[in-house]
Amino acid sequence: MSEAKSELPSQRAAADDLQRYEQLWAEARQVHGVSLGRDAWRRLRRNPSAMLSLTILVVLSILAFLTPALPLQSPRQVETLRSFAEPTSEHFWAPHLQTPSAQAEGTNDEQWAAFWRDVDLKFGKLDAIEKLLLQARVAVFGPYAIGSICGTDELGRDLLSRLFWGARVSLIVGVVATLVSLVIGVSYGAISGYMGGRVDNIMMRLVDVMYSIPFIFVVIFIISILSEDSIKAWLIDHGIDRITIFFFLVGAIYWLTMARVVRGQVISLKHEQFVEAARTLGAGRMRIVFRHLVPNLFSVIIVYLTLTIPRVMLFEAFLSFLGLGVEPPDVSWGLLANEGVRVITPVKIYWWLVVFPGIALGVTLFALNFFGDGLRDALDPKLKNR
Amino acid sequence: MIGFLVRRLGWMIITLWVVFTISFALMRSVPGGPLSSERALEPEIEKNIRARYHLDEPLMKQYLRELGNTLQGDLGYSFKLADFSVNEIIAQGFPISATLGIVALGVALSIGLTAGIVSAIRRQSLIDVTLMSLATVGIALPNFVVAGILIILLVFLWPVFPAAGWGNLSQLVLPGFCLGLPYAAYVARLARTGLLDVLSQDYIRTARAKGLRTPTVILRHALKGAMLPVVSFMGPAIAGILTGSLVVEQIFAIPGLGVHFIQAATQRDYTLAMGLVLLYTTLLYTMNLLVDVSYVYLDPRAKLE
Amino acid sequence: MRSVFPYLALAGLLGAIGWAVSFGTLPPADFSFCNESEIKTIDPAIVTGQPEGRVIRGLFEGLVNWHPEDLHPIPGVADRWTISDDRLTYRFHIRPDAQWSDGSPVTSEDFVYSFRRFLHPATGAEYAYQLHYVRGARDFNHARVKVGESVEIELYKRPENALPDAPGVIVRGRLVDVEPPLPDNNDEPADDHAVEESESEADDIKRTYTVEIDGRMRRFRQREDERAEPSPDGGENYRWLLPDFEEVAIRAPDPATLIIELENPTPYFLTLTGFYPLFPVNRECVETHPFPSWTKPENLVCNGPYILESRRIRDRVRLRKNPYYWDRDNIHFETVDALAIESLTTALNMYLTGQLDYIPQVPATVVPTLLEQDRVDFNPTPYLGTYYYRINTTRPPLDNPLVRRALSRAIDREEIVTRVTRAGQLPGHSFVPPGLAGYEQALCEGYDPEEAKRLLAEAGYPGGRGFPANLEIMYNTHEMHKSIAELIQSQWKRVLGIDVKLQNQEWAAYLSHQRQLQYSVCRAAWIGDYPDPNTFLDMFVSDGANNQTGWGNAEYDRLIEAAAREAEPEARMALLHDAEEILMDELPIIPVYYYVSTFMVKPYVEGFYPNIQDVHPLQGMRIDTDKKRLAIESLR
Repeated sequence: MSEAKSELPSQRAAADDLQRYEQLWAEARQVHGVSLGRDAWRRLRRNPSAMLSLTILVVLSILAFLTPALPLQSPRQVETLRSFAEPTSEHFWAPHLQTPSAQAEGTNDEQWAAFWRDVDLKFGKLDAIEKLLLQARVAVFGPYAIGSICGTDELGRDLLSRLFWGARVSLIVGVVATLVSLVIGVSYGAISGYMGGRVDNIMMRLVDVMYSIPFIFVVIFIISILSEDSIKAWLIDHGIDRITIFFFLVGAIYWLTMARVVRGQVISLKHEQFVEAARTLGAGRMRIVFRHLVPNLFSVIIVYLTLTIPRVMLFEAFLSFLGLGVEPPDVSWGLLANEGVRVITPVKIYWWLVVFPGIALGVTLFALNFFGDGLRDALDPKLKNR
Repeated sequence: MIGFLVRRLGWMIITLWVVFTISFALMRSVPGGPLSSERALEPEIEKNIRARYHLDEPLMKQYLRELGNTLQGDLGYSFKLADFSVNEIIAQGFPISATLGIVALGVALSIGLTAGIVSAIRRQSLIDVTLMSLATVGIALPNFVVAGILIILLVFLWPVFPAAGWGNLSQLVLPGFCLGLPYAAYVARLARTGLLDVLSQDYIRTARAKGLRTPTVILRHALKGAMLPVVSFMGPAIAGILTGSLVVEQIFAIPGLGVHFIQAATQRDYTLAMGLVLLYTTLLYTMNLLVDVSYVYLDPRAKLE
Repeated sequence: MRSVFPYLALAGLLGAIGWAVSFGTLPPADFSFCNESEIKTIDPAIVTGQPEGRVIRGLFEGLVNWHPEDLHPIPGVADRWTISDDRLTYRFHIRPDAQWSDGSPVTSEDFVYSFRRFLHPATGAEYAYQLHYVRGARDFNHARVKVGESVEIELYKRPENALPDAPGVIVRGRLVDVEPPLPDNNDEPADDHAVEESESEADDIKRTYTVEIDGRMRRFRQREDERAEPSPDGGENYRWLLPDFEEVAIRAPDPATLIIELENPTPYFLTLTGFYPLFPVNRECVETHPFPSWTKPENLVCNGPYILESRRIRDRVRLRKNPYYWDRDNIHFETVDALAIESLTTALNMYLTGQLDYIPQVPATVVPTLLEQDRVDFNPTPYLGTYYYRINTTRPPLDNPLVRRALSRAIDREEIVTRVTRAGQLPGHSFVPPGLAGYEQALCEGYDPEEAKRLLAEAGYPGGRGFPANLEIMYNTHEMHKSIAELIQSQWKRVLGIDVKLQNQEWAAYLSHQRQLQYSVCRAAWIGDYPDPNTFLDMFVSDGANNQTGWGNAEYDRLIEAAAREAEPEARMALLHDAEEILMDELPIIPVYYYVSTFMVKPYVEGFYPNIQDVHPLQGMRIDTDKKRLAIESLR
């Protein structure tokens, strides 16, 4: 009995402990169950401006993708009789396409042939998906298109339609080129910064060397070289056009900045305790860099990303200005902004040619920035589980 | 420190040589040459001109000749501005671009840092949203659009500034502002992010716990750490600002280097283009070096390696 | 240290601004104009552009001047001249009061020196062909020596007391033998590329020339290095071996007389002597200061109405009145500024705010508004230039004249000039623009969609079916070229049903592709050098340097050649007209419109006249100060 007596308090204490540990364990399990991504999404949802921006970006991307299916006029059909027409609500919903109908002459096949000829005239060569979307458009909207509510440009082309078709080019240019630069830049910078010493030295000197070549020169020269007849024919045979070259050139240029920034951050982070801890636990170098360091850099990376996309888009505009960007009749927002600025003179201001492309660029970049800020906050590991 | 600088200087020379070689190769392989003109020349006349500029020699010989001249500090005469040597063109244009650049830099740092700090402290407030929206506008609008609008407003509607030209301080304001604005926007965003990161660090909590007032905490302790991203952005950006901007210089008729930069490339002015590339490289390299040195100053954990 | 640093930076910043601005302030000139781009040089011999011309006309003066209203030749450095009945010999009398800006007289020797320098291969003058009308000038310029003829050899040895940049010792003699022999120099090579190749090969051959000098045979052989010793195989080293300049028919029998003999009667030769490449330079100045330092303001000696006061690259060239100019009483501006402003909008802004008195061009988008405003200072004037499309006739299907005609007839030129250019340009149906006295243009047929379709069908592409899809319109970066190309692209699509792409090129690549025939269709323009159809039509002789279409026609070549020899003006014009008929029938080029000059000049500038070549001599121009004051007040 005495034994039992003597054991009693300690048993009780152990049971208490067990209960407490179980409780803690349950809590911990609960906490652990939230992954970084899900946690971030939870916090992102609570940020109204970020959600609004996200909505804008998603809607914009969908609209850009669906452009051929929207009831818009031709982005390239020249109608000089209405050049520099002011925005108007007249003919707000007017027939624009030559769609087959029961009243028209000719058999159905002939009508469809005529329709595709008309489409070719108004939209140029389309790929399979675009054709499908166009057929969907005819099915839903018939021959109708929205009038020139944003006015027309010098050659009488509908600005609204050009904005939509331009969005396709500009968004793809911005996103793809930036992603290229992101992937190269982050891995390069993180590795260089973490390795330190000789490796870092050589890697960063290499960046310095490349950085020191004025890239405007390189872009001008490379694009000129690639437009030589023989080289161009070869590239076209391999399905590479100017825009593709542009992605890689720009990506190859902007990664340098990214690499430097990431390296700087890694250097200041790598003496932190959590890195030491990971190392003590035997984590490999690559695991430390990509599992532990890079997530800590998300805030900086994302801010840079939201800064780089607009820069790429503006750089595309600058190249258009030099005659090396998108080739007409294709359009991009940069091209439209350039055309708009040309008509701001003290003598006459065709305001709609500046204002609408400006709004399009502005809204997109606004959304990108606020979404980037929201994402930054959401992804910050220091704020995790709060 | 000395050893570090010496090593970097060695790298700089290698960099310059690599840049020289790449530029030389690119320029000679691009279609068109410095002698292209709208009126095609008779072959005999063209031969005379090519001989005059040594363009008839084998490429390797031209390369060695130019490299030798460059090493002696002689960048040669410009092809398209034949009355001037490249050294003269740079000597005339660089101070102008640099002056404009310094004004723009002043604009960028003063507006950018103020906006960045204010919006970081007042995070998620109205003022934060407003300032960051303005910064976004600064980034989103190409500076030729900003310049066009400012000219209409401040030259024609309310005539306070001259339309264009170079010579006095009033002609410096509009171009300086237009050139600096996008940079100000970048600085604002980077400063805000950097400051927010730092403010959640332990040493700031310590400083606050010591009972220091908020302005002291921010100016004394936080700002230094928050400057890292700004500094690494501004280093290369300064080189760009100092060597001029094509758009702003063209719109405001400023005789800086920015216009030379693009025109030398598109007109294949071999010598001038090479001179400008080397100038740009030197500046950029120096700026990046300064960035690395300032990392040590701003962040005690980083070491010069 | 740390606390001082910001203040130091601030002080440095302000100091730098102050320093850079301090040397920038210049009082405004009496007359300021926009000179578009920065000039290449002020050496009259080696420039070709309009902006250079404007400055050089202020600094130098040729034998004749051009009348500001209609550009007919009026006395310049020559106060009178006579032309022989066969129109081959020109005798100029140099006015006695013509002086250089250092006070020394301008003599006919100065012209002989300047023309020699202009033609010398070492100068590399692009416009040298403007003097090829002179007997013997072409051979001298091309350094084409012939056995049995007189040659001159410039040695590396320098004459005693020579000026720093003077040529070496020149010896003259008769060329006796060349080893290995010279290739046959047919004047018109059959194939451009083949000849270029063989010539570059020929360059590597070092020849030995045997020349009889003062009865003694001397052998000459050029070596890589000027300091090279004569090699054992014989031959002295030399710098240049050229036909004897004495054989070039430019002579100065006395300081006041200059005699020039031409190969063919060239009706526009007198006008050409007032064209800026043929302006004289001062020998002492040029030879004392090696190029380019003689062009510096402190060194330059010139003979025009103005002297060079200062230059700031890409900013301005400032001219000051030349006190030694013979017609100084007719010069009303003490200072003139030529500003290098490339942006048309900027130039317009500066004009409207009163910083400029004359701008040569306004942005195309403001033209309709300016015309609506009915301004006194905006009157677009016909300009001697044609905007046209070159067609690469070596590329199928463009080698087929039917296709070219179809393309031409499918272009609605009226739509282009009324909707895009909009400054009152006339639709172009000929290569030679209107306005040349005595010349009747040969016109191509105009816009006719049905006929265009029929022609294309006849060529084998009914409705555009089967037409190659890789056709491109190439143009250099410019908004106007882009708009016109887009419009023509859509017109061809609309009328002919063919797809052409657009290809934008920056300037140097554009020129290079054009010259190597690496294009299908490309935008081009030609501005006449002198008011005569020949400046347009002689471009398209087979293998002409400016042809660049791969097109050639023997009959066309014959007509141009015959016109050059024809002394009778009417018959000559008829020959040129016949040549243009062929051009407009075969259409290796498709004319689009004739240029208009859209300059603006302040109403208070007097003595300024619009004219067909857009040349505005500063002589006689003046500013009505009362009007100017009123204009400035109205701006405020």
